[in-house]
Amino acid sequence: MKARPETVDAAALDEAVRLVTEVCERACNGDLEARVPVISGSERAARIRIAINGLLDHVDAFVRESGAASAAAAEGRFHRRFLTQGLDGAYRAAAEQITHSNQVMSRTAAQFADAARARQALADELESAVLTVSEQVATAATEMGRSANGLADFARVAVADAERGLGTVSSLRTSSDEIRHAVDLINQVAAQTRLLALNATIEAARAGSAGRGFGVVANEVKNLANETSASSEEIMSQVNTVQQSAADAIGVLEAVTNRIREMSVLVEGIAQAVDGGHQIEDVGLSQLAEVLRAEVSRFVSTIRAS
Amino acid sequence: MRATEVRPSGIERTFGENELIVSKTDPRGVITYANDVFLRISALSEDQALGSPHNIIRHPDMPRAVFKLLWDTLEQRKEIFAYVLNLASDGAHYWVYAHVTPSFDRSGRLLGYHSNRRRPSQPAVAAIREVYARLLDEERRQSRTPDAVAAGMAALERMLAERGRTYDELVWDVTDGGAR
Ligand SMILES: Cc1cc2nc3c(=O)[nH]c(=O)nc-3n(C[C@H](O)[C@H](O)[C@H](O)COP(=O)(O)O)c2cc1C
Repeated sequence: MKARPETVDAAALDEAVRLVTEVCERACNGDLEARVPVISGSERAARIRIAINGLLDHVDAFVRESGAASAAAAEGRFHRRFLTQGLDGAYRAAAEQITHSNQVMSRTAAQFADAARARQALADELESAVLTVSEQVATAATEMGRSANGLADFARVAVADAERGLGTVSSLRTSSDEIRHAVDLINQVAAQTRLLALNATIEAARAGSAGRGFGVVANEVKNLANETSASSEEIMSQVNTVQQSAADAIGVLEAVTNRIREMSVLVEGIAQAVDGGHQIEDVGLSQLAEVLRAEVSRFVSTIRAS
Repeated sequence: MRATEVRPSGIERTFGENELIVSKTDPRGVITYANDVFLRISALSEDQALGSPHNIIRHPDMPRAVFKLLWDTLEQRKEIFAYVLNLASDGAHYWVYAHVTPSFDRSGRLLGYHSNRRRPSQPAVAAIREVYARLLDEERRQSRTPDAVAAGMAALERMLAERGRTYDELVWDVTDGGAR
């Protein structure tokens, strides 16, 4: 070694240059497994080797750390920091930047998690609120449907009753017409009887004392006829009153019947809104409540899954 | 192997805050590269290190469970952090905070493994010593190696369950000084 140091050194350096070049080219292409192997015979070559390998070790360390730290952050393992220890200068500055970014990501992730929790809680509240409301609506709908049907039945009965009342009152009117007729007849009879009694009185007077008894009878007959027509007057006035009342009653009953018919239409509307109509697309309130409940639970499970 | 040949002297060795102890192995754990810091701290020549299995620097006070976990994790193609007590060829010991990762080629084929080791903090070493003492205690009750590994793993799992942490989280708690 001591005999020809320059020559030995030169050959070793040539070898070192070749090996270093090869390793640097591999490293350039991203092969960080490459390291300069042992070079014997030259102190300077050994120093170059250590320097190049040291450089590669630091680049290797930085690449492994940055890859692994970012992957960990992406998986939410924020406790796995970028280890800056053993890295200096630009490596450390970049490492600290990555650490900072990961911390920001971690905070964002935490905020996201909070927001997600809040959303879940909201979903729970919404679900229970909608469940309560739809249950209440369904119950109310059933109740309303039952009441509406009851009302409709009641209205039908009421209309029938009123119609029957109308019939009764109308027949009352007919019978009072008949009474009036009969009274007219009685009046005519009474008038003729009075005429007859007058004639009889005149004839009795002409017969003198022999006709006195007959005159008394004729006078009685006249009184009877007068009383009869007085009673007929009274009957007629009562019949008129009855007829007036009957007419009033008919007016009232007709008005009531019309109101009840209108009410029936309204009640029918309510019943349809509650139970649904005859068409398929006419959905009732209880079905709507069920649809709402189903929609909301679908919405809520989507939110929970997201 | 070497660990039985070299007797621990009880002398502690440390290395620079900004130094990295680097080694690479083939898929079986045979050393293919060791940097100058590795050789200096382990008191090994390059000839001695290259081609030797990595347990060349194994310290008898390291629980087997830790290495079992290391190899299980690497086999899943994942990184692992571990505090390791190593034994230099001159009997000195040194603690490292090791980051061990698999190396792949472009097609994703496993080339071997890589380890970067950093100088751990004193509180971290104190905390991990306690953990390892409990594992060792369990392992040394067993006479057969597989039983010892199983006992150590079981003890580690119990300890993690007690603390409600994963192994990963425990190691980072220790590193961040938040060990409980
Ligand atoms: C990349 C890499 C680095 C390793 N570094 C160490 C180390 O620094 N110290 C150590 O004792 N074991 C290390 N090991 C683990 C050893 O391969 C071995 O599993 C361990 O020393 C236990 O040896 P034993 O099975 O003979 O007990 C490393 C393994 C790999 C793959």
